[in-house]
Amino acid sequence: MHKLDPIETILARMMPPALSAEGQRGIEDMLDELAGPLPEILPVKPWFRRPWVGAGAAAGAAAGIAAAILLPLALPRLWTTTAPLPAVALEQEATDGVVLVGESGRIKSMSMQGWQENPDGTALRTLRMRVVEENQFLDEETGIIMLVSEPREEYLLMPVSAF
Amino acid sequence: MNSPASAWKQWLAENGPRLLLFARGWSNSRQDAEDLVQEAILRMWHHQADKGGGPPDLPLVFSTIRFCGLNHHRSETRRRKREESVIYLHDFQDVWLDPLLEEDEEALILRDAVQNLSQKLREVVVMKFWGGLTFLQISETLAISPNTAASRYRYALEQLAHELRRIKEVRHAQA
Repeated sequence: MHKLDPIETILARMMPPALSAEGQRGIEDMLDELAGPLPEILPVKPWFRRPWVGAGAAAGAAAGIAAAILLPLALPRLWTTTAPLPAVALEQEATDGVVLVGESGRIKSMSMQGWQENPDGTALRTLRMRVVEENQFLDEETGIIMLVSEPREEYLLMPVSAF
Repeated sequence: MNSPASAWKQWLAENGPRLLLFARGWSNSRQDAEDLVQEAILRMWHHQADKGGGPPDLPLVFSTIRFCGLNHHRSETRRRKREESVIYLHDFQDVWLDPLLEEDEEALILRDAVQNLSQKLREVVVMKFWGGLTFLQISETLAISPNTAASRYRYALEQLAHELRRIKEVRHAQA
């Protein structure tokens, strides 16, 4: 078992504070919004409690016979469009059919590139970073998910206050 | 039926403090650190969407917080160049770590010392000690070798020990 360094023993006497109530609530609200509403679950009665079960086999058989006689006459009518379907107002604005479904970013490598001096005399440490940003796009028409990687090189100047 | 958010909320309750501590090292204030955590979680939600939708592994979250922090630092640096000055009022409630005992002098000294460590040492200490990551996981998060991660950790402990000794000697001399 790893024996604690004396400094680690002291560090163990400290804990990071929790998120503020406001911060916690903000993140939880965001998670609820991302998850969306739960699908409505309709109550289903057990089969033996459904009223039509009690109607009996005779009634069912009679209905079946009647349907067999009448259905061929009714069929053409069933397949005839009697009225135009109501127009559904599409609330979605026109898009090019490509939707952003995921994004991530990571630092691939980082290396120190030396020091620079600010005009005001403060020292700056130059860090060179290779960063990769990846975005996933869904083509709604084909269902294909495209991964777009954007590698880039950046230089970050960080002020130094302690050596 | 539980909402997918339930698992994430439970995960947040368990890991929120360590994420906040790590984010605090990339922020100027506690408020900014919480914003950073929220941004990282949002990115993680989308990232995990095609991986089962469950909460992410900690190393990836630390890496994402770091990425978001660097982005903010860049935009903040550009903003400061545009503005004459930015004054951050000292928030006495903005402590990075809480000692379990209020009068723990050594813990209070080390709390300040941890905050004053260089970023590359502090990151390793936070992820190792309070984040519970292994050196291998830390090395993958920071894109360094495991040996470098271990070396930085040891060096950080040495610096903290040195600072503790120094402060104690100063206080003893003043007493």
